[in-house]
Amino acid sequence: MDQLVLFVTLGFAVGAVYAVIASSLVAVHAATGVLNFAQGSIALWGVWVAAELGATGTLILPIGSVQIADGPAPTTVAVAIGVASSALVALLTHLLVMRPLRSAPALSQVVASVGVMLLIVSLVPLRFDTTGAVAAPILPSGTIEVLGAQVAVADLIVLGLALTVAVLLAAYFRFTRWGTATRASAEDETALRLTGWSPDRLAALVWFTTGAATGLVAVVGSPSIGLDPISYTFYVLPGLAAALIARLRSVLVAAAAGLAIGVFQSLLMMMSTYDFWPVWAQAGFGETVPFLIVMVALFVFGRSIPERGGVQTLRMPPVRPPRTRPVYALVVVAATVAAILLTEGSWRFGVVTSIIMMLIALSLVVLTGYLGQISLAAMAFAGTGGFVLSRVTTEYGVPFPLSLVLPALAATVLGVIVGIPALRIRGAHLAVVTLAGALAIQTFVFGNPAFTPYEGNLIEDPTLFGLDLGVRSGTVLTTTSFALMVLVVVGTLTWATARLMRGRTGRSFLAIRSNERAAASVGIDVAGTKLLGFAFSAFLAGIGGCLIGYSRGQLSVESFTVFVGLTLLCTVYVAGITSLAGAVVAGLLAPLGVLATFLEGTLGVGHLYSLIAAIALVVTAVLNPVGITGSVRQASEHLIHRRTTRAQL
Amino acid sequence: MSVLELKGVTAGYGHAAAVRDLDLSVKAGEVVALLGPNGAGKTTVLRTAVGLLQPTSGEVRVFGRRLGRRVEKNARAGVVLVPDTRAIFHQLTVRENLSLARRRGDLDIDAVLDRLPRLAPLVNRRVGLLSGGEQQMLALAKALLARPRVLLVDELSLGLAPLAVQELLPIVRALADEAWTGVLLVEQHVDLALATADRAVVLHHGRTALSGTAAELRADREAVRKAYFGDHEEDELVLAEDGAPLHA
Amino acid sequence: MPSSEHDRGGAALLEIRDLTVRYGGVVANDGVNLAIDRGEVVGLIGPNGAGKTSLVDAVTGFTAADGEVVLDGRRLDRLPPHRRRRAGLARTWQAGELFADLTVADNVAVAVQRRGWAGLVADVLGRSARTAPDPSLEMLGLLDDADRRPDELSLGRQRLVGVARALAGGSSVVLLDEPAAGLDTDESEAFGDVVRTMATSGRGVLLIDHDMNLVLNVCDRVYVLDFGRVIACGTPTEIRADAAVVAAYLGEEPVA
Repeated sequence: MDQLVLFVTLGFAVGAVYAVIASSLVAVHAATGVLNFAQGSIALWGVWVAAELGATGTLILPIGSVQIADGPAPTTVAVAIGVASSALVALLTHLLVMRPLRSAPALSQVVASVGVMLLIVSLVPLRFDTTGAVAAPILPSGTIEVLGAQVAVADLIVLGLALTVAVLLAAYFRFTRWGTATRASAEDETALRLTGWSPDRLAALVWFTTGAATGLVAVVGSPSIGLDPISYTFYVLPGLAAALIARLRSVLVAAAAGLAIGVFQSLLMMMSTYDFWPVWAQAGFGETVPFLIVMVALFVFGRSIPERGGVQTLRMPPVRPPRTRPVYALVVVAATVAAILLTEGSWRFGVVTSIIMMLIALSLVVLTGYLGQISLAAMAFAGTGGFVLSRVTTEYGVPFPLSLVLPALAATVLGVIVGIPALRIRGAHLAVVTLAGALAIQTFVFGNPAFTPYEGNLIEDPTLFGLDLGVRSGTVLTTTSFALMVLVVVGTLTWATARLMRGRTGRSFLAIRSNERAAASVGIDVAGTKLLGFAFSAFLAGIGGCLIGYSRGQLSVESFTVFVGLTLLCTVYVAGITSLAGAVVAGLLAPLGVLATFLEGTLGVGHLYSLIAAIALVVTAVLNPVGITGSVRQASEHLIHRRTTRAQL
Repeated sequence: MSVLELKGVTAGYGHAAAVRDLDLSVKAGEVVALLGPNGAGKTTVLRTAVGLLQPTSGEVRVFGRRLGRRVEKNARAGVVLVPDTRAIFHQLTVRENLSLARRRGDLDIDAVLDRLPRLAPLVNRRVGLLSGGEQQMLALAKALLARPRVLLVDELSLGLAPLAVQELLPIVRALADEAWTGVLLVEQHVDLALATADRAVVLHHGRTALSGTAAELRADREAVRKAYFGDHEEDELVLAEDGAPLHA
Repeated sequence: MPSSEHDRGGAALLEIRDLTVRYGGVVANDGVNLAIDRGEVVGLIGPNGAGKTSLVDAVTGFTAADGEVVLDGRRLDRLPPHRRRRAGLARTWQAGELFADLTVADNVAVAVQRRGWAGLVADVLGRSARTAPDPSLEMLGLLDDADRRPDELSLGRQRLVGVARALAGGSSVVLLDEPAAGLDTDESEAFGDVVRTMATSGRGVLLIDHDMNLVLNVCDRVYVLDFGRVIACGTPTEIRADAAVVAAYLGEEPVA
């Protein structure tokens, strides 16, 4: 009994952070219609600012720093400034990023808030000394006895803070005119403006307040949760799960659900210490809980979760289906062959990685660019491919190229499962499901010792008709035969995809993307076609994952983390998510690809890669939603147009 | 003095102009009915007059000054639109809806409820649960609380039984008579509109097809009927042969 | 008042029986009965908010409804929208709702093509998806615009694309929801001829429009809807003379 109480209370601190994130997400959604993926990162920044002040008295800003005190700053000052920085980050996110995008398609909003999330998370290790930092205690360290268990007073206080925040937020919405107006803005912004209110100002207030509240609970809770350069960022997922349970309507329900998830995870941890608990469920099971909750909540509530009314939504960036241009294709292939033959060592490895990443990028172009379904899970599908590849080659000796197909089919199955919620939901909600799914796959499958041996997942080199296609040969880091094999596989699949996109399938995809109702009214099976899109996209990603596996010789979690996946999404979006050319450019820009090799090997600034990607993503989302290839095409279409009109004169 | 003045306004959506080179003015204390078949551009005129839509050419003047782009500012300055969607919030209670419309130092909610006694017992009910007529009444109450100097009303009768409309229109009339508000009224029930208005303008394809005092239009009902049912000569013949006149 | 019952031998092509639609507490359609025969153009008119679009939504499966929808003897009312379309019951949308990223030809082709896995295999291995343009494009005079995108066309021509999309694949009944809104007088008259042509091949057409001229000149029979109920049904001549119809539009005539 006392152990039960102990584990319940151990979940309080984390549960409190989930709770405050969940209630903030509900509030921000009510005020702006945005699901803010960066809410956890906002907490992360405040936590580190406060910790650094508490340790050294230095106020770290994104650029530069200010020495506030000689030696450690007083706790109250550290906490106050930490909270203020969270609030400011939230306000700036609203003013600079989300407000300009208020009538943008859901994709731009999701991508922009993911961009902010990545931006902060890549900035933290650059600006703070994250090795061995410890958060100084903020709250009294005593314990009290509850039902026979020693419970930390600090955890109870954090819990109380989170609940107070939720109650205050709920009271604001329920009893004040401004809060009432904010609820009204969730229903119809135009009507609210006609009533004489500015929805923007109400939204700014909510962003600022919830930023401060999230910062406060996280900072105060950090000594018992621990300092970590990443984890707070992903607390947004349990937060989102809780917010969805509350149907994005009730701040109080969201907070309660967030707390419950924290406690539940803590209890799972207790269970995993018992003998009867299966080994496979010992690691990562807690992380799959939010995913399961999100799936169930969205499936049950799906249509009753409010979407924002009264805001005119801009269209997704336009798509121009690929035309048959054998010349272009040949030029690209020839250039790639030349790049393979003329490079060696890490550069050739970069080229090969870029080719593979192009395939995974293509899976995003198909699913998100063409079909309009936002997926943050492409890298998880790739990872599934890679891990199954390891199994089928080392344990069952499946030969190449069947060894590519089987894992890709496994990824396809997973893709369809993650895609099932897309039958009932769309836009940002779907992004939540796919992100939760990706994190669940990462921690439960890739990071689970029961599935992943400690020595890593070895992969046997591919051979075809006695020809060794292995990536290494003696001291050669990347063999020509391997590189050409990759090019043949990716080239073939790209060709097939281009034919699909130009053909009936592409037409159905684009029809669904532009208007689901109208698509159904012309006889398209919207549900079936969406699943087809998820399946095909996951298949491509799965093949990509296998190729990554072959190129490494062994795999670990690090190859396919959610971060790599989100960074890849950044590059695809920046390159242009609606075209084949975008996928090609994305491949060049992708993690460990040609650009990354250049930054790392030539400029020596490889550690800035993810920061640069995140900034590029945010800027692209706000200023240039058609991406690099889109603006090149617009410019050339403009030129051609001018030339033809001039010719007519 | 004109409280609302449209001078040569052309406005629309995309490249289609719904209103072309329109002149229109409403004086303080005057009710002007804006009539015409669907798609004639009536709603576009109202949206332009409150700043939701910017004219591609021409200008909108309110109290002699050019209308700004910020709708919420215009609303606070007394240019109030009751759109056909009614601009009420279904998730909120009646009282909450009214409290949003009230400005500091303005009429209080009870005074408005005195005018609309049917709303009084419903103040704590969620608006989504009200009938169409009650919702329209709330929309009007919200507009009254904002103490409009220019009131723009779009299709008060939409989806309502004529009886319910007959209850609401006198309130609009009274606002013009007592508070000296200028009212522009878009209405599909022509007779009801003409019974309330001082003047009427009939739009056709975004241009003025007919205008005059309400009394003149009431007298020439045939002209109005043509705007709705078309004006083909054959139609008249068919009617005559049938011996079934349109209105007995 | 003209009779609202039309005794015709045999079952009609499309029969709508006792259709009722409720949104929350609001009854949008209340026990509507409506029939369309082969080769017949049927009009549906009524003031704003009378429930015309909600009727089309219900018949085509976009709104839950009680009642029966029978096409050529086959019950469709339990099928999802895309299966109703494949059975031959097509519609257009008031707001057009064309596929902005597809050319005019593709907007129409997407309605008749092979789908799903079969389409996928055909795309990769088969010949090009470019096929002869659907006859509806020629019928509506859209061949010259086949390679343009909808936003490059005038509103009037966009409307026609929506109609072509509904006709594609030889649908047996089309429900046209305000196809002439935004057309000028000439375009609207020309469109009337098109509607008649649609019906010559034995297709049934339901025409909803606010343009009385169009409806009364083109239709064989006209239903009038007010407050979700059919208040009158008859030939255009009968409808013009119907006092209830006039009242629904212009309001009650003041007692002189």
